[in-house]
Amino acid sequence: MDERLYDMIFICRPATPEEEIDKLLATLEHTIEERAGKVEKKEKWGARKMAYRVHRHREGYYVLLVLRATQGDMVHELERRLKVSDIVIKYMTVRLDEDMKRQKRLAQRREKKASRRPRAGGRSHGHGGGEQPAAPSQAQAQAQQ
Amino acid sequence: MADETQKESQPEQPQAPEPRPHEPRPQDQPRSAEGAPVAAPAAPRSAESRPPEGGRPRGEGRGGEGRGPREGGGGGAGREGGKRGRRGFYRKKKVCRFCVDRVDYIDYKKPEQLMTFIQERGKIMPRRITGTCSRHQRWLAEAIKRARNIALMPFGGAR
Repeated sequence: MDERLYDMIFICRPATPEEEIDKLLATLEHTIEERAGKVEKKEKWGARKMAYRVHRHREGYYVLLVLRATQGDMVHELERRLKVSDIVIKYMTVRLDEDMKRQKRLAQRREKKASRRPRAGGRSHGHGGGEQPAAPSQAQAQAQQ
Repeated sequence: MADETQKESQPEQPQAPEPRPHEPRPQDQPRSAEGAPVAAPAAPRSAESRPPEGGRPRGEGRGGEGRGPREGGGGGAGREGGKRGRRGFYRKKKVCRFCVDRVDYIDYKKPEQLMTFIQERGKIMPRRITGTCSRHQRWLAEAIKRARNIALMPFGGAR
């Protein structure tokens, strides 16, 4: 199976001590290693206000993991662990690789276009007025000189 | 409505002299109504004769909010002018903000950016208001929905 990229965000109760979160992260990382995954990025956003109340909490401790997975059941297992954990009040996993692929494709296309632009720019310039035949001839004249 | 038709007829007059020289008989205006393509002299009529023309201007007036087609219909000349509104109101042409910034991916983890695209009660802004292009609107909607899921953005009003 090919590699897949995931965003995994979870929210802990705001009153959780830091060590507990680290412990949870350690177990998660252990699972990831076990299943031949990789942690691309690990970000603790810390406590921040949530847009709505979750389990009567107005704040939550956000943690973001960006993962690379090769085995299909890795995400499944991680989500199970988050689900059973007492300190986690919300979690979400988003598959990213498709979006990233699209993003790369678009960037490439634009680059290609940009590299072609010198010519395209000349054309669009001529497009503005009735000088379309004149502009290329000038360019030719310059080239001949 | 009466006011409108009067207003309409005024800007039309500068155009009216144009077709006349071609026509040998300037006095038979009623008959010129048969020559529908010319259409310009018959100002009050133009409202009726619009629907057949409607196709093209409607395509142009892409910002369309209900009134769009009508305004566009007024501007057969609007093709060059762009924002020359006959009735004196202007509508700036909206541009997709994401296209301007060349955005390839809308990140759901940045709620501050997405917040500008929701209404007070948490609804996603329609693109006829924001001017977002259809592709970016799709991405935007997806991003907003993801952000809502993880409590970065509200479902309803902000409490």
